[in-house]
Amino acid sequence: MLVQALKKLGQTLVVLVLVSIATFGLLKLAPGDPVQIMLGAEYSQDSYESMTRELGLDQPFLVQYADWALNFVQGDWGTSYIARTDIFTYGFKEALPVTLTLAFFSLSFAILIGVPLGVLSAVKKDTVFDAGAAVFALTGTAFPSFLLGILLIWFFGVKLQLFPVMGYVSPWEDLRLGIYHMILPGLTLSTYFIAMITRLTRATLIEVLDEPYIAAARARGEPNWRVIWVHGVRNIAMPLVTILGLQLGTLIQGTVLTETVFNLPGIGQMLTSAVLGRDYQVVQAGVMMTAFLFIGVNLLVDLSYPILDPRLRDRK
Amino acid sequence: MTDIDHKKILTERVSARLGRRAVLKGMGAGIVAATAAGGFPAIARAQQSGHLRIASIKVIDTLDPHFTGFLPAIQVINNIHNGLLKIVYDGEALTFEPDLAETWELEDDKTHVFKLREGVKFHDGTPCDAEAVKFSLLRVKEGEPASPHAWKLELLEEIEIIDPLNLKLHFSQPYAFLPVALNGSTGRAGTIVSPAAVEKYGTDYGRNPVGTGPFKFVSWRENDAIELEANTEYFEPEMPKLERVTFLLMNEASTAIAALFSGQIDGMNDCPMQLVDQVAANPNTQIFGEIEGNYTFLGMNCKDGPFTDINLRRAVAWALDRETLVKQAYFGRAQQAYTPISPPMTDFFDPDIATSGRGQWFDLDKAREFRAMAENQDEIEVTYMMAERGPVGTRTAQTIVPMLAQIGIKVNLELVEPATWLKRRNEGSFDLYDFEWVADLDPDEAIYPEFKSDGAWNFCGWVNTEFDDLCAQAQVVLDPEERRKLYYAAEDLLMDEAPIGVMAHMPIYKVFSNKVEGFQYIPADLMNLHSVSIT
Repeated sequence: MLVQALKKLGQTLVVLVLVSIATFGLLKLAPGDPVQIMLGAEYSQDSYESMTRELGLDQPFLVQYADWALNFVQGDWGTSYIARTDIFTYGFKEALPVTLTLAFFSLSFAILIGVPLGVLSAVKKDTVFDAGAAVFALTGTAFPSFLLGILLIWFFGVKLQLFPVMGYVSPWEDLRLGIYHMILPGLTLSTYFIAMITRLTRATLIEVLDEPYIAAARARGEPNWRVIWVHGVRNIAMPLVTILGLQLGTLIQGTVLTETVFNLPGIGQMLTSAVLGRDYQVVQAGVMMTAFLFIGVNLLVDLSYPILDPRLRDRK
Repeated sequence: MTDIDHKKILTERVSARLGRRAVLKGMGAGIVAATAAGGFPAIARAQQSGHLRIASIKVIDTLDPHFTGFLPAIQVINNIHNGLLKIVYDGEALTFEPDLAETWELEDDKTHVFKLREGVKFHDGTPCDAEAVKFSLLRVKEGEPASPHAWKLELLEEIEIIDPLNLKLHFSQPYAFLPVALNGSTGRAGTIVSPAAVEKYGTDYGRNPVGTGPFKFVSWRENDAIELEANTEYFEPEMPKLERVTFLLMNEASTAIAALFSGQIDGMNDCPMQLVDQVAANPNTQIFGEIEGNYTFLGMNCKDGPFTDINLRRAVAWALDRETLVKQAYFGRAQQAYTPISPPMTDFFDPDIATSGRGQWFDLDKAREFRAMAENQDEIEVTYMMAERGPVGTRTAQTIVPMLAQIGIKVNLELVEPATWLKRRNEGSFDLYDFEWVADLDPDEAIYPEFKSDGAWNFCGWVNTEFDDLCAQAQVVLDPEERRKLYYAAEDLLMDEAPIGVMAHMPIYKVFSNKVEGFQYIPADLMNLHSVSIT
């Protein structure tokens, strides 16, 4: 077990180093110069050179990378070139919680809406309801989330004035207001996942409902709701968790657009403006956090299997 | 002492008498003569109330006035800081008036004398005196790291402190450009910062600005919001009126408008031209916007490629159908430009420019004549570098392609990402590109640094020493008539040799909900909230 854990950790480290080198290299290869961008329209050659020196951008690539990597490991993530703010505070303390909150709400919406919808479709297989859910699921998968976001803003925000159209309030500070602000962006980001979970739940549950243990449960005379919601749904948890773990990348991708449309100050917006501004160290920090997140979640998924499936427990 | 009243000449020179153009709606009552300096020392304290939330579109890099290069940053900075002078607009004319200075006089044409207001304090409680002014000006002129605006004070030779409230600025030559240099780009070089705060925060000052302005800086959450609160000790009477101000940092103008319509925010700093109709149709909003001191142009590479041929450049300049451009690229909101000098510079702008015969305009026959004189008579293929940037993105480029096809120039549009665009422009790696110089208050600012031979912003690489001489002369001449002649001569050279085809002067729109009152519009892309209140 310990050997396995160490192996996993070693793999993780290698991945992180590779990710960091790749990002650093790609950014340097991309044309564009952070100093020119941060100086704006009016500057002199002197200020250009002094700024370049100050930021250490006159150093060779490897020196810049080594500097960055050493500091990063020690928790000094550097200062943003453009915003001139501490990146650890900006990225880890300010932006990350926003993205995590958004991801949490979208996943919750996806599960709370997707699973029941899928279960009902499976139970009412080949009825009008099932067909309707299928249409919804297909539309949801195909619909671009930014367009949906704008439509939701206009309908629920501007026309009906039910929800705020933008901004972030931390649910930890003000739970009610926080949830209120997360409903539209959460829904926007989760549509794809609601649709995906609906289809997955339906397909897996239909298979599960044909299994002998379901027939056994029915034979024992257990009520229908128990057969489906306890014996049935419990057995779709594994594939569901696996897929959700794998789709986390898509979710993080989606936060970029959703955060832009709803003006949420999360990792997505941070990365977008940093890439456009060639703010190398901010991009590095953003990518590293995303990589950590991705690897971390997949680790959690692995760890959750024994909890979800007792057959996987205590095997030598 | 000379007999000339330099101050009067200067003031007249820079006071641009703007023909009052149509402001969409909501203007009018907002303009009050609240700028009169009276009332001191018995300041009538304002009772502050209300929280104003404004969407700020686009980049804010730093709140350090001496280092920013972005107008949205200046809009916030101007609410936190004051300058020696300030820009005032009464609906008719743009003028420069003393701000932190109580009086501003000229001893001779090289010496400017300032008397400061008494008892003004920075938000950190330290006094704003002659030492602080000297500190700020020197920080711009020779600070380390170097301020991008240092060149504006290059001619400043000595700052002489007479007593804590009086100081003299000595220049190495007559410097008529001073008020523009101090307020140019709306107040960067002449903005006074707290020496104690600069000492305390160092390079982090831009994240912890401390000024004398009507609002104090509270916080800045990245990509989210900048919060200000009222400075209850502010030196101008009855200001500020608001208790709190939030600038919401946004990328999407359409989201900002949705938020404005739904009442979540109260205003926005820059409404794109294509959305103005939609905003104007909403009864709960008011729009401010006039043609500002700017010009857009098509730049041609004079150093490398086909446009080293002057006749080909001239052909392009005369082939640009400005009317179509204004309609299609600028949504009918801009005004055709004949030369770079824009309408708000009324001492210099010729209202009859269209019939004066000066400048560039659309004349296909003339364009074809020039094309016939070009060395290369075959079809010429050129690359037009464009990016999703600026007020109208790639629309200008797309509108221009068919115009140049008419004179045998095949344009290949190349879409690059903004950072790449910037780098390639600065390196001169393009045949054609379009750009806009904005927020200019004076012809010097509008053409000299942009087209000076080997100038840092002369990306077209045009070289003409006669032009350089004319502009350099105009900087030291005080007589407005003579100065105008010099600029006209310089412009004529520029337009004739055509490193650029000048296209349009643009309006910039500020939008507020009807709950907001007392906004004083200044056509220099400013967002001064001194007199703004909200019900």
